[in-house]
Amino acid sequence: MRGLRSIASRLALWSLLGSALVLTVVGLLLLGHLRQTWLRSAHREGGTLALAAAHGIEAHLARAGEVTRLLARLARTRSDPTAQLASDALKANPDLAGILFAWTPDDPTHPPVAPFVDRQPNGTLTRRDLSHDGTRYWEQPWFRSGLDCTDGCWQKPFFSQSRQERLINYSVAIRSAGRSIGIVNADVTLAWLQSVLGSLKRPDGAVMFVVDHEGHFLAHDGTARLGLVATPELRQALAMAGDAPGELRAGIDPSVSGRAWIYHAPVAGTGWTLGLLVPQAQLESSLRRLFMRELSLGLLAMLGIAVITLVVTRRTLSPLATLTGRAEHVARGELDFTLPRIRRRDEIGRLTHAFDRMRRQLAHHLEQLTRATREQERLRSELEIAHQIQVALLPSEHYLDARCAMFELHATLRPARAVGGDLYSYFMLDQRHFCLMVGDVSDKGIPAALFMARAITLAKALAPRARHPALLLDQLNRELCQGNESCMFITLLCGVLDTSDGRLVLASAGHEPPILYQGGTGRLVEVTTGPAIGLDEDAGYVEQELTMEAGDTLLMYTDGITEAGAPDGSMFGIERTLASLERAPPPTAPGEFTARLMADVDAFAEGCDQTDDITILALSWHHRSREEAGMLDLTLKTTLEDVFAALERCESVLDDAGVAVGIREDVRLVLEELMVNMVQHGHENPADGSIRLHLRTNEGAVLAELHDDGMAFDPLQASVPALSGDVADAEEVGGLGIHLVRAMASELTYHHDRDGNHLQLRFIQPDQTESPT
Amino acid sequence: MTIELRTERPSPDRLVLHLHGRLDANTYLEFDGAALPLLTELPHGATVVLDMAGLEYISSAGLRSVARIRKATRTLGGHTLLLDPQPQVRKVFDIVKAVPVSEVFTGTSELDAYLDRIQKKIIDEADGGK
Repeated sequence: MRGLRSIASRLALWSLLGSALVLTVVGLLLLGHLRQTWLRSAHREGGTLALAAAHGIEAHLARAGEVTRLLARLARTRSDPTAQLASDALKANPDLAGILFAWTPDDPTHPPVAPFVDRQPNGTLTRRDLSHDGTRYWEQPWFRSGLDCTDGCWQKPFFSQSRQERLINYSVAIRSAGRSIGIVNADVTLAWLQSVLGSLKRPDGAVMFVVDHEGHFLAHDGTARLGLVATPELRQALAMAGDAPGELRAGIDPSVSGRAWIYHAPVAGTGWTLGLLVPQAQLESSLRRLFMRELSLGLLAMLGIAVITLVVTRRTLSPLATLTGRAEHVARGELDFTLPRIRRRDEIGRLTHAFDRMRRQLAHHLEQLTRATREQERLRSELEIAHQIQVALLPSEHYLDARCAMFELHATLRPARAVGGDLYSYFMLDQRHFCLMVGDVSDKGIPAALFMARAITLAKALAPRARHPALLLDQLNRELCQGNESCMFITLLCGVLDTSDGRLVLASAGHEPPILYQGGTGRLVEVTTGPAIGLDEDAGYVEQELTMEAGDTLLMYTDGITEAGAPDGSMFGIERTLASLERAPPPTAPGEFTARLMADVDAFAEGCDQTDDITILALSWHHRSREEAGMLDLTLKTTLEDVFAALERCESVLDDAGVAVGIREDVRLVLEELMVNMVQHGHENPADGSIRLHLRTNEGAVLAELHDDGMAFDPLQASVPALSGDVADAEEVGGLGIHLVRAMASELTYHHDRDGNHLQLRFIQPDQTESPT
Repeated sequence: MTIELRTERPSPDRLVLHLHGRLDANTYLEFDGAALPLLTELPHGATVVLDMAGLEYISSAGLRSVARIRKATRTLGGHTLLLDPQPQVRKVFDIVKAVPVSEVFTGTSELDAYLDRIQKKIIDEADGGK
């Protein structure tokens, strides 16, 4: 629970606020309705009270009237002992204050006795005769009007001098022979009426009063107003017909403050009206009290509801809070925690269940991801190692012919992925021939890399025996066709360079034609190409020869160059390749060729991923003058004369070159032995053959090459003669010459091809290899 | 360059062949033609001395000529001794172990001492035989 941020608190708060609003609105409506009902019932009660009060007064007055009327009937004659009658009646009726019998005098000078029995305040009765008090009562209005009251009627109130209080009397005419001969007057004090009024029930704060038909107050809860005349508004309100209550404005009646409601009822038989004034404030105060009670009850209920809502919500949502905490755990990557127990299959239960499943799934996925990442990492490191191995398969990028500095080579290979299917390779086939190749395996990636490894290893193994590019391609093709179920193939451009004269023999297996860069311009060398290697076992390849001149550079490349794509979809193409090479300043070293071409391709393909492996190989031929190239280059017939003439030439040339005598003699001996051997054993018909002799020096060493077209003979394979220590021991002396050759030449290489035997010899000054003793 | 052969006969059972020039595939026939007939005249047990001080060069063909002389001398029961081979020639002989080291001499005095020892031995044998 985190204050107002928790859903439970907010739910409780909002439901509290909402129910408070509803309660307020309903309460206001209820108040209005209640007020109406309350007023109606108050009015009804007021009316009833007024009526009851009027009836109460009537009952009291009716008794007085009854007595009076009885007295009137009893007093038909003037002679009747009316005085005694009056006294008895007074004694029997404590309500009455006095009784008067008055007669219409036949002779005004001798009025009959008019007894008046009066009840003194102390309760004693006094008797008087009004006929002789000089007031001439028969002329008084009360008497005259009383004569008309045959059934009795209430006179106006008057102030009694004798009693010093206000009275009203009930007059009943005494009838005799169809005319009124006198009246009976029963006095009632207003104090009595007041006491009657006071005994009546009324609401608290209400004011009750009685007015006569002229508007005089006969009785009033506020005694000070007795006898006064009611205000016209009050009288008007009283005069309103019916039982309907009237509403009085504030100030109309001084006995009540503020607005008030007036209820009235006629007091039957009197012409009087009973009024009941109920102040509005008093009405409403009770209403307000009631309403406040209801309101506080409502508030209490609301509070209870809020508390219940809070408790229920918190209890219901408590698993949600736990889930929220757990979700924060998940966000931190901690997946090992306990979830609240599922109590019901409601939304919370389903959420918890789903949460649990989500956690398990997440953990599972995380584990899988970790495993996949590890696997990927392993694959990546394997690829890295594969890359290193593949790089190790390639010879170094730069090669400078250290022995004779006749040529220089620079190659660049950049796979599109970690490993690729492009290859280049170069190696010396023998002292004189340099083999180089550039190839491109179909497809990319690991399969191509494996095929490339197979191809480059095979090529290197086959090349020394094949010696000729076409033959090499042929043998390579046959080897790679075997078991090539996946139909992978490789395009290969292979060349063999004769390092002695720059002759380059090329053969192509479906590869891009090389570029020969000569004197600042490049041109494509159209090589007749056979099918790609690995597809057709019976494919044949043809050779083509070109001679490189000083300063020439031959570029071999793969389609990664020409098919390098720009973002707009165009390809680098051969024109751009040629233009790149021909741009000033002209490149000189082979490294500059490859670097420039690579840079141009990169600039062209800016923003595009490299899609194919790229390989460039540049071979530059450095010219060397004839004198440097070889001191001697002879072609001779296989006769001893020619051989010895050549040997003489050799000797003199070596002498001129300042070669030490020891070496000179060795060279001569070796050459003689070899050439004489060729003359004597090489041919069926000795004079048919020819021998080519090439002699040069390099860094103090003497290099000699012998080529002959005779029968194959490898001096290295010849058996060592039995050396007993005495040449005379052997029956037939042989093999000594070859033994001498092997002993004297510092290096000897031999190969045989369809041109015949090829021997390369190297003689080193003794002081260069051995320390002088 | 050719081969020149000069013969000397200091005693009846001793033949000295002075070689000059080169003994190779081109000259060995000439050398053989000149030298071999001389051997046939030699008595049993004769000694042939090949003076090589003037021999500049020898190849395997020359070695074979020397081998033939040694064979011929051996059939006579004699010896073939080499005198003063030049370093280059000596090297060739060494490589193919053409002759026993004991039969190569430098300087005439060394040779003469050796020959005297042989002579003495023969006389002693002859005396012993009597």
